[in-house]
Amino acid sequence: MKRFNIAIIGLGGQGIITMGTVLKNAALNSDSQEVSGSERRGGAQREGYVETFVKYIFYENESEPNDSRRNMHSPMIEAGGANVLISLEPIETLRGARYLNENSIVIFNERPYIPISVRMGQASYPDISFIVSELRKITKNIFFYDLDKISTDNFNSLTQRNIIALGILFAKTSIPISPKTIENILLEGKSAEAFNLGLNF
Amino acid sequence: MNKSNLFIDGTAGDKGIMLGNEAIARGALEAGVGYASMYPGTPASEIIAALDKNKGNIKDLYTEFSLNEHVSLHGAVGASWSGVRALCAMKNVGLNVASEPAQFLSYTGVKAGLVIAVGSDPGATSSSNEQDDRWYSMHTYMPIIEPSNIQEAKDYTRDAFDISEEFSFGIVLIASSRLCHNAGVLYFGDLRDRNINGDFKKDPENYLNLFNMAVKNHAKYLKQNELLKNYLAESRFNKIINENSSKVGFISSGVIYAHLMEAMDVLNIYDHRILKLGFTFPISNELLNKFFDGLDEVVIVEEAEGFLEFQIKKIAYELGFRGVIHGKDIFKQTGELTLDDVISGVGKFLEKPLPVFFDFAVKRDKELQGILPSRSGTFCIGCSHRATFYSILKAVGFSNTEAKERDVVIAGDIGCYTLGLLPPYNAMDFLTCMNAGLGIGQAISIFDKKKKVIALVGDSTFYHSGIPVLLNAVQNGANVLYIILDNSWTAMTGHQKTPSTQRDVDGTPYSNPLNLKELIKSLGVTYIKSLDPNSVKRFALHVKSALKEQGVKVLIAKRECILQEIRRNKLLKKKDAAAMKTTSSFYEIQKLRCVKCNECFVELACPAIILKKDENEDMEYYYIDPVSCVKCGVCYEVCPNSAIRKVEFGSKLNLSKKISNKEVNGLSGINV
Ligand code: SF4
Ligand code: SF4
Repeated sequence: MKRFNIAIIGLGGQGIITMGTVLKNAALNSDSQEVSGSERRGGAQREGYVETFVKYIFYENESEPNDSRRNMHSPMIEAGGANVLISLEPIETLRGARYLNENSIVIFNERPYIPISVRMGQASYPDISFIVSELRKITKNIFFYDLDKISTDNFNSLTQRNIIALGILFAKTSIPISPKTIENILLEGKSAEAFNLGLNF
Repeated sequence: MNKSNLFIDGTAGDKGIMLGNEAIARGALEAGVGYASMYPGTPASEIIAALDKNKGNIKDLYTEFSLNEHVSLHGAVGASWSGVRALCAMKNVGLNVASEPAQFLSYTGVKAGLVIAVGSDPGATSSSNEQDDRWYSMHTYMPIIEPSNIQEAKDYTRDAFDISEEFSFGIVLIASSRLCHNAGVLYFGDLRDRNINGDFKKDPENYLNLFNMAVKNHAKYLKQNELLKNYLAESRFNKIINENSSKVGFISSGVIYAHLMEAMDVLNIYDHRILKLGFTFPISNELLNKFFDGLDEVVIVEEAEGFLEFQIKKIAYELGFRGVIHGKDIFKQTGELTLDDVISGVGKFLEKPLPVFFDFAVKRDKELQGILPSRSGTFCIGCSHRATFYSILKAVGFSNTEAKERDVVIAGDIGCYTLGLLPPYNAMDFLTCMNAGLGIGQAISIFDKKKKVIALVGDSTFYHSGIPVLLNAVQNGANVLYIILDNSWTAMTGHQKTPSTQRDVDGTPYSNPLNLKELIKSLGVTYIKSLDPNSVKRFALHVKSALKEQGVKVLIAKRECILQEIRRNKLLKKKDAAAMKTTSSFYEIQKLRCVKCNECFVELACPAIILKKDENEDMEYYYIDPVSCVKCGVCYEVCPNSAIRKVEFGSKLNLSKKISNKEVNGLSGINV
């Protein structure tokens, strides 16, 4: 049995749950495949922390799917257990760093969303360079972009930001899913364009 | 056949990706459910929503978003007694409201299968407590079934209906938020025929539950419970893995069982005996006897205070089991029990070294959490609740920038507006359960005459159980300002309609929206006003003057949830392209006029108002992000320095006409 774990984090209103749903729906390809992964929507109000997990499971022989020791999968990812972490908000990337190991790949949006504590002057917002250097203490595989800008420049709205990030996921990692499957789920229109935009990063 | 929607068309042999909640709903469909109801509540809302939104395409299915859990469960009982299989869903605390019917259900028994699906919320990420509803069964005797994954969520729900009928119990299906919002591969089964042509057969022996008849019914269900225990000694729901070997055995259920199996894989442990409990109440002595055989130690892996441990220790005593039983000495009682907690707990107990990557990640996390600025959720951009809180705080003389003590008690309640308790508003002095705001507030107003009391409530919460509370306050001479934040929807749980809802998102008017003002008048309230909360200055003035009056005063902050309004406008625009061509406008902060007084950025705190750096990055200024702003205009009204202006242009002419500053000043110069 092999696993490929993706943790996606960000803020309520950024389309985090949708990203998870799209990826999970790509798991119906073969009989030897399972998917698990829960969402934390509690803080899904605007600007609250949201996370969703996508765990692809590939059985390596016919007995595994019927083996009680093998066929039950936690909806969570363990500390250090993510192959990929996608984050749509810079400091939240560090909140999600719990899931990283030295081989993990990090893709994050460098556009900060200032939390209330910072607005009120009770805390300060760290620089991107600080965030990157903290991440580097764990893994060297770090990619970051201003996804808000890319989305508004190309689509005149923020609604494609999450789908662009999905494209980048396929461009930068060895996710064991064919991008074609995602294209089929997104069908056509702006979402498919956004996915392809990310795919060419 | 082209199956475009497996949820309703799927048959044996099909598979699809489903959410836990959808799988529960699908299980009910496969069981031939005819009645499905709930009062919406996270994490369970999608169970009934999935059925409700598809009911046009499902033959013979009745769905209902009930006004509260009490009436919702009674409805399910009525359906069951009429011979119609019934599903009633609710969140963890919903069972408190439904506890009265739940308490009687074992006495009277059911006819057609009845399943109560409870979404539990360990960690309380969307609830006001993290109660473990399984304890209810200690006195209700309702059997509990706990699925661990998506497939079981569907299969167990389906099977629970049969067991409910066979033993005449309502069955409680517990799904924690991690299962409700998990997604996975689901193998479908065939659908059973649905029967909604009810036939209520009189059964006074069971249904007239009082005096000695109640005592007789009590004895009846204790006997049924024993029969069910016998059945569970060998059922397919409970299974023992690795019957031989091992001196240490593990017992678990639900999602925690999934954590346990994966934890063992992470730790490379494959040789211990494990008991997976599908039914966690009642537990069969015979089953445990078989499991205990040869074990020296038993570890119970579960969340909260230890419901399994409590039962299992009792049974172990009865069986004379001499081994040691662990549980809450290893695993915490509060907060969500995560996969990481299970890995650490099992690893430490078995003295297995934790994997290096795991250990490193946990340590790194601890270091990082200390240095990150905290983050809390807030209202959506353009949400009228933000305006309501802003106005209330202005009126009662409390400002975040000077954190002075308010002499007003603000009673909170459950709904989107609960977020008003968070910074920067900090606008609630207490918050517990549905309608506790006015309930507790009215008594405070009687006993503390020095402070004024404001109680808040949303429309859905008011209809849930607020009407008797308001009547009580009026009848007993309370002195409270009751503010009903009426946004026409149960917004927090995904916009189910309330009696206030006038129109659906697609614009279709509802036939009988309630006249809230008339209802309140009829309860004996004489001071009552309905106001637009987005007119913040006007609203604040009304709060001030209402606080000067004696008795129960009601202000209705009436404005539809902005998300629904935006959705409807989008849909209408699609239908009617001409609507696109009307005048348009946007709001902007004039850099040179803004003195950074923080009225809009901190006090109102609309997330669309952001901090932006100048081109040469040396100056920061406040800026309205045009992509996020929904043009509610509230910031424009609050700016005391006329720095925010409204720019209007007619797209027909494609000419932009800016309003003069003079006009802007005239509109926004007044201070409350
Ligand atoms: S008009 Fe002002 S308060 Fe309303 S959404 Fe836009 S920025 Fe926020
Ligand atoms: S309220 Fe007006 S002056 Fe104050 S920070 Fe906002 S735009 Fe600037």
